[in-house]
Amino acid sequence: MNPLENFRMAFESLWGNKLRSFLALLGIVIGVFAVTAMISLGQMASAGITQDLEAIAGRSIFVQPNFNEGQNFDSAPIRDEDVAALQVLPVKVLPQLFTSAQYESKPGERRSITLQGTPGDLPRLDPTNKVARGRYFTQAEAQGGLAVAVLSDRAAKDLFPNRDPIGQVARLFYPNGGRLEVTVVGVLEPPSGLFGGLSSSATVYAPIPLIWNTSPLARKGQYDFLVLSLNKGASAQEVSNQVRRIFEGRYGKGKYSIQSTESFQDTLRSITVILQALLGAIAGLSLLVGGIGIMNIMLVSVTERTREIGLRKALGATAGLVRQQFLIEAVVLTLVGGVLGVALAAGLLVLITATVPFFKVFILSPTTILLSLAVSALIGLFFGVWPAARAAALDPIEALRYE
Amino acid sequence: MAAVVEMQGITKTYRSGSGARTVEVHALRGVDLTIEQGEYVALMGPSGSGKSTLMHIIGLLDSPSGGSYRLGGRSVEGLSEVELARIRNRRVGFVFQAFFLLPRLTALHNVALPLVYRGVSSAERLKRAKAALESVGLGDRLDHLPSELSGGQKQRVAIARALVQEPDLLLADEPTGNLDSRSSEEILGLFDELHRQGKTIVMVTHEHDVGARAQRIVRLRDGRIADGGHP
Repeated sequence: MNPLENFRMAFESLWGNKLRSFLALLGIVIGVFAVTAMISLGQMASAGITQDLEAIAGRSIFVQPNFNEGQNFDSAPIRDEDVAALQVLPVKVLPQLFTSAQYESKPGERRSITLQGTPGDLPRLDPTNKVARGRYFTQAEAQGGLAVAVLSDRAAKDLFPNRDPIGQVARLFYPNGGRLEVTVVGVLEPPSGLFGGLSSSATVYAPIPLIWNTSPLARKGQYDFLVLSLNKGASAQEVSNQVRRIFEGRYGKGKYSIQSTESFQDTLRSITVILQALLGAIAGLSLLVGGIGIMNIMLVSVTERTREIGLRKALGATAGLVRQQFLIEAVVLTLVGGVLGVALAAGLLVLITATVPFFKVFILSPTTILLSLAVSALIGLFFGVWPAARAAALDPIEALRYE
Repeated sequence: MAAVVEMQGITKTYRSGSGARTVEVHALRGVDLTIEQGEYVALMGPSGSGKSTLMHIIGLLDSPSGGSYRLGGRSVEGLSEVELARIRNRRVGFVFQAFFLLPRLTALHNVALPLVYRGVSSAERLKRAKAALESVGLGDRLDHLPSELSGGQKQRVAIARALVQEPDLLLADEPTGNLDSRSSEEILGLFDELHRQGKTIVMVTHEHDVGARAQRIVRLRDGRIADGGHP
């Protein structure tokens, strides 16, 4: 007998019992739906995190003194000559200087704000910084240490509430009481995405030499932080290693921390993978429950069709063919459930992509689909074995006598 | 004439109960039976006489505890389950008291069912099933479900299902037991007709007027043949 006949019979029998078949496969539908949606949402979250990180940090490498080992801030500064040594690498070097300052929010009340020294023309060097209004100070202005500044979106709101800050003079105070007056030439766009909130601090960007000249803490020719913006096609891993070798060659091991956005991404991705596995396993439990439901229905079906089984045996069906018939029914049942589950999951993912801004791309990989369908077929096979064996073992005489 | 059924010293013993309380039930105590090709035989006897057991053994649904049995000239001793299923499919056509039609299949597909297990192609199956239904006078009921047929019509579908196998032996177990007298007459007339066409028929019954239609009556009593074991 052609096994395809058994498939046709399975469909006929399941179709003949629509309501029961539907209820039986509902458990599988929900299970496959949950597993597929979890895996795909995990992948979509992973992609979203990667995109968001790139939006705020680009593909960059960060170098900063390592504070973990009890050294003080001055023990390992980044010097001009280090910056010069990095110029051979396929990166744009953006040295930065951080210092804290205060501003007068109301007469007599001072609040902290970050004062950050950057090279001129930052948006061109690092496209993750975007100017919303006005302009960034130029290279020439930066090198000359002119008293100009660009405000972050938050800083603009804090320093000049309800006023256009461009052209205004911002008055800042150093902790020792020294004053710094800068003319605001531009305001940056607020950072976007999931991590936007983390980096939306109130920051005043000013030329590095201006800070060297005015801050009591900063020392000429020294930086706090380097952003190395990778050129297109450069490998973050390779360049990180080169940077590490340069700093270790000059200062010894462990003095500087060198991290790339890709290493952050890897960390975040491994967290999402763990979450995905966890959620997938929980969803898998519902598949197990669904499988037990299938077994239950198949056992009922075998009991109910005892006479049919007896008749088929009398007409020449072997135990093997009867077993095959019931196994195929179980597999067809779970496979149909799997297809419906995947379709439902796809629907949900489309909906989520359309409505939740964080999930920008729709991901439902062929691997996930195949895996879901294979698992549902296997569940049918696994939970169909026992009912099918019971059907095959029926004695035709007993079965025909069964009322 | 060749013998379709040749039985010698067939015994069947069941064990019932368990452990120390096991009881051996002797359903058949040595049956000698020969049925020639083209014969119409009625198998009669009171309940408990072993006629159902004998029918199951003739139809290869059950195997004897002892004795020798040749069906269509071939010994069936020691055959595997798969071989027995194959011989049932090719050589034995069953007609049951309760019809045993699959409720979700049309008359045509019910009749085609035995051919599924023979690996006959779908088109060929339906062609032969149609011919079988026409031969029992149901050419106009091909697409009816069993629930849409009368009792007599259901039994005729069941007979068509047996005929489509072109068996050596038609084995009917109380075929009129569930029918009113008019339908019974209709079915018995059909068996008479099949007999005239040369089919070999074994009919199990306890009704004398049904048994009387047969060419020969085999009477069973207490697991032995009391009368009519040989033509």
